[in-house]
Amino acid sequence: MRRFLNSDFFYAFTRSPLAIVSLLVVVLMVLSAILANFIAPTNPFDAASLNLMNGFTAPMEPNMFTGETFLLGTDDQGRDLFSAILFGLRVSLFVGVMAVGLAMVLGVLLGLIAGYLGGWLDTLIMRLADIQMTFPSILIAMLIFGVARGLLPAELREEMAITVLILSIGLSEWVTFARTVRGSTMVEKEKEYVSAARLIGLNPWQIMLRHILPNVLGPVLVIATITLALAIIAEATLSFLGVGAPRTEPSLGTLIRVGQDFLFSGEWWILLFPALTLLALALSVNLFGDWLRDTLNPRLR
Amino acid sequence: MSFVVARDLSRTFNLSDPWIVRKLTMRPKRLLKAVDAVNFEIERGTTYALVGESGSGKSTIANMVVGLLAPSAGSITIDGQNLGDASMSRQEQQRLRRRIQMVFQSPYASLNPRWRVGDILSEPMRAFKLIDGATAQRKRVAQLLEQVGLSDSDASKFPHEFSGGQRQRISIARALASQPEVIICDEPTSALDVSVQAQVLNLLKSLQKEFGLTYLFITHDLAVVSTMANKIGVLNQGVLVEEQDTEDLFTTPREDYTKMLLSSAPKIDFDS
Repeated sequence: MRRFLNSDFFYAFTRSPLAIVSLLVVVLMVLSAILANFIAPTNPFDAASLNLMNGFTAPMEPNMFTGETFLLGTDDQGRDLFSAILFGLRVSLFVGVMAVGLAMVLGVLLGLIAGYLGGWLDTLIMRLADIQMTFPSILIAMLIFGVARGLLPAELREEMAITVLILSIGLSEWVTFARTVRGSTMVEKEKEYVSAARLIGLNPWQIMLRHILPNVLGPVLVIATITLALAIIAEATLSFLGVGAPRTEPSLGTLIRVGQDFLFSGEWWILLFPALTLLALALSVNLFGDWLRDTLNPRLR
Repeated sequence: MSFVVARDLSRTFNLSDPWIVRKLTMRPKRLLKAVDAVNFEIERGTTYALVGESGSGKSTIANMVVGLLAPSAGSITIDGQNLGDASMSRQEQQRLRRRIQMVFQSPYASLNPRWRVGDILSEPMRAFKLIDGATAQRKRVAQLLEQVGLSDSDASKFPHEFSGGQRQRISIARALASQPEVIICDEPTSALDVSVQAQVLNLLKSLQKEFGLTYLFITHDLAVVSTMANKIGVLNQGVLVEEQDTEDLFTTPREDYTKMLLSSAPKIDFDS
């Protein structure tokens, strides 16, 4: 810990207001998503606690029937928006983190295999990556999402929606990881410590995982942060289009979609607050990722 | 029969374009003969040096001797056994691998930067199942570090905390960890400055005396060769042009190429 506090990295961090603020926002959002149960004044998805009379209450104004006030107002069903946003944040972050985790594991493994073993496996993996790069990743995610939904029995669709969402975003983002890892693996495998490992008869898997992997992980963490912002936005986009998180388990994207219906009838807050939350989250993750990249590896730019 | 025997050792590299490009441009295959029918023998406990300019195929030979690269033709046998023998079981292969180790050229790239020295040195013990148990391995690591002139507290450090010469000592200790009989030294001192070169060479010499090691020395530096080698082979463009005992080669070189090499080596003449 002391070594970390004395490092150049930490010094650069204390010198960058941008990094401090963006990390602070991210940490705050992650904490409030994890602790949503305790922070949220109401459970927005317990139908019994909702009072339809509270519908369309403007922020910080007492409701004209019940007299209750809500920090950020309520939606059409009288649901407290602040609570809904906290729980939506939780879904958005969970999907984002899991999708990036999936993309990272997949991309790093395929990149290692392509870079170290080479040959036809390399060609196969990288051409697959090339093909995938020619489509926007949101389109790939929608394709995977649609196929998965078609394969699943109807009664499982709502339940599995989040899993399918993670799968489709994860599978659409592995390419960046694979390309970077393949490149650094090809550099590392020519180094003599790999020859030394081959001399004592280690098999390719042992060499890839024990020797090469620790040496190619640096840029991967940076890419993971930047991809997290992309994944959160992708999730929101999918949910906004109605192919993501279901209404029973809404993410920020779902909330924005719901709010959009009421924007032009004057209930602006139902759209605005979830949208602002998403903006703040994606922006600060992105800014922090950019700062990480510039600080840890200026060559990646 | 000698301990290490190379018979008609050849290696061809395929530098051709991919098949489809070749067919479209109608160009023939391009092959590079890096090593062409090289023969040499090394007696147990002696040092054989291969000298030559860069591109003469020295390192290719080194890689073939340790089994990192398969020969295109010919064979390498060590104590009568051939590493390229496909009929060998995995266990037999490991037993033979243990007896042949290598010290590499670059002191910077030859040690994994993310591993502690102790882990680097104990890895061969685990791979060859030489020493079981963490305590016994740690003891052996300390012993190895002492043998190469480092202290046992260095085991917990990372490679970047050492100088080039010290790293080369770690590299030598790693080779010793598997208790080898042959060590191939691929330009072990060419990345070091002159005073450190002498220390590393002296270390290699004293280890040879202590463990009866057989060395194959790959170098372009004739000064290094003159102090280390019993026998010298001169390589030119993949062909072994001359082979003599060290003293004879320096006094009566037979080939023109060898004479040119000898005369082009920088000398310090204190009299003039």
